[in-house]
Amino acid sequence: MKQIIELNVNGESYTVAVNPWQTLNEVLREEINLTGVKLGCGSGDCGACTVMVDGRAVSSCLSLAVEMVGKEIMTVEGMAPSGEELHPIQESFVKKGAIQCGFCTPGMELTALNLLNNNPSPTYNEIREALAGNLCRCTGYKKIIEAVGAAGQKMKEASERKTS
Amino acid sequence: MLLPKFDFHEPATIAEACQMMAEFGSEARLIAGGTDLMVNMKHKVISPNHVVSLSRIDDLKKLDLSDSTVKIGACFTVAEITESEEIGKKLSALRTGARALGSPLVRNRATIGGNLGTARPAADLPPSLMVYDAKVVLTKSSGEREVSLDSFFKGPGVTEIQPDEILTEIRVDVPPPHAGAGYINLGIRQAQDCNLVNVASYIALDGPDGTIQSARVVMGCVGPTHLRASSAEKLLIGEKPSDELFEKAGEAAMGDCTPIDDFRGSAQYKKAMVGVLTKRTLGIALKEAKDRG
Repeated sequence: MKQIIELNVNGESYTVAVNPWQTLNEVLREEINLTGVKLGCGSGDCGACTVMVDGRAVSSCLSLAVEMVGKEIMTVEGMAPSGEELHPIQESFVKKGAIQCGFCTPGMELTALNLLNNNPSPTYNEIREALAGNLCRCTGYKKIIEAVGAAGQKMKEASERKTS
Repeated sequence: MLLPKFDFHEPATIAEACQMMAEFGSEARLIAGGTDLMVNMKHKVISPNHVVSLSRIDDLKKLDLSDSTVKIGACFTVAEITESEEIGKKLSALRTGARALGSPLVRNRATIGGNLGTARPAADLPPSLMVYDAKVVLTKSSGEREVSLDSFFKGPGVTEIQPDEILTEIRVDVPPPHAGAGYINLGIRQAQDCNLVNVASYIALDGPDGTIQSARVVMGCVGPTHLRASSAEKLLIGEKPSDELFEKAGEAAMGDCTPIDDFRGSAQYKKAMVGVLTKRTLGIALKEAKDRG
């Protein structure tokens, strides 16, 4: 039987009727139309479905929608809420050529955001370790790692400007 | 891949969850992080009629540290273990094991209780907890019991947990001074891979440059459950630690394991790696035992 639940996604509240066996991925894509969230392997191996839940990057294909009530969910659409200005991570991905087919990009960017929020100046290896659960079928890892490093630098400078 | 249909329950307390498990019995499955359960359900390996979520029970997410004991709630996540400096100081091998598990995305959801309850012979946390002689608390409506991890695992996917019980807590005594532990896992890939062989070792010395008072060596992927290398342990106790001794302990551990040939590697290779990893983890344990002294 369907349950009526309220989900907080990208700062907006959505009331949706879901079956308990629907994953967060299905509900975000099919009920809320946030198709920036991708579905790859469906078993937590590829990271294409990554979303942030309460500030942590997780696989939405392995999360039940009914368990997400009361949590803050963020998808790639929430990274640039104005729809005009890109998030520094996104800007950096564009500038560094870190996007090829684009399928892994939303997941990569959210995992990168999770990393940079906790560690603004990660080393090359720390970036590699943080992205270990996100696969790029175009194998464009080098550019992605460079983009994350550059984004961290940019975000750090911006926050320093704000505080000074 | 779609999930099979089920009734969903979200108890708010351990008592309520116990009641539900007593009522539904083997028709129900508990969900904590879901990183293993959901995959098995999608592949239709299991399709329980009831799924009981532990996510609203805050008591299961606690970390309780005292000078003598570490108590970890079953729903404490693997990522939280990797981030806890206190766990790193007191139980370094557990933190190493947690860092080796899955990927950051999996670690953000997966729980310590789940990694034990699923009882995969290649799992990362069982050996890194068994070396510390960890115990689990199994709770049901009529009370709770404490079970040593040594007797908790019964076979692949099978544990001591009864259908009306819930694994609620993991208890570990903080190692004494001059004790240390090490954990190494070997796989084809460094992340998101099933281990080929994993070994954890622990030694406690009777003084800064003393002899080995107690030793535990635990091997994964080389038997139906994680195995203690008892002849290696016997060989270590009462001796002064040295590279030669650790080499011999590795050889003894090779005789204590029963690996099988599979697509990940041959039995012969896995056995050889048990020897290497035993020696290396004992080296890590010795270094920590001296540093902690």
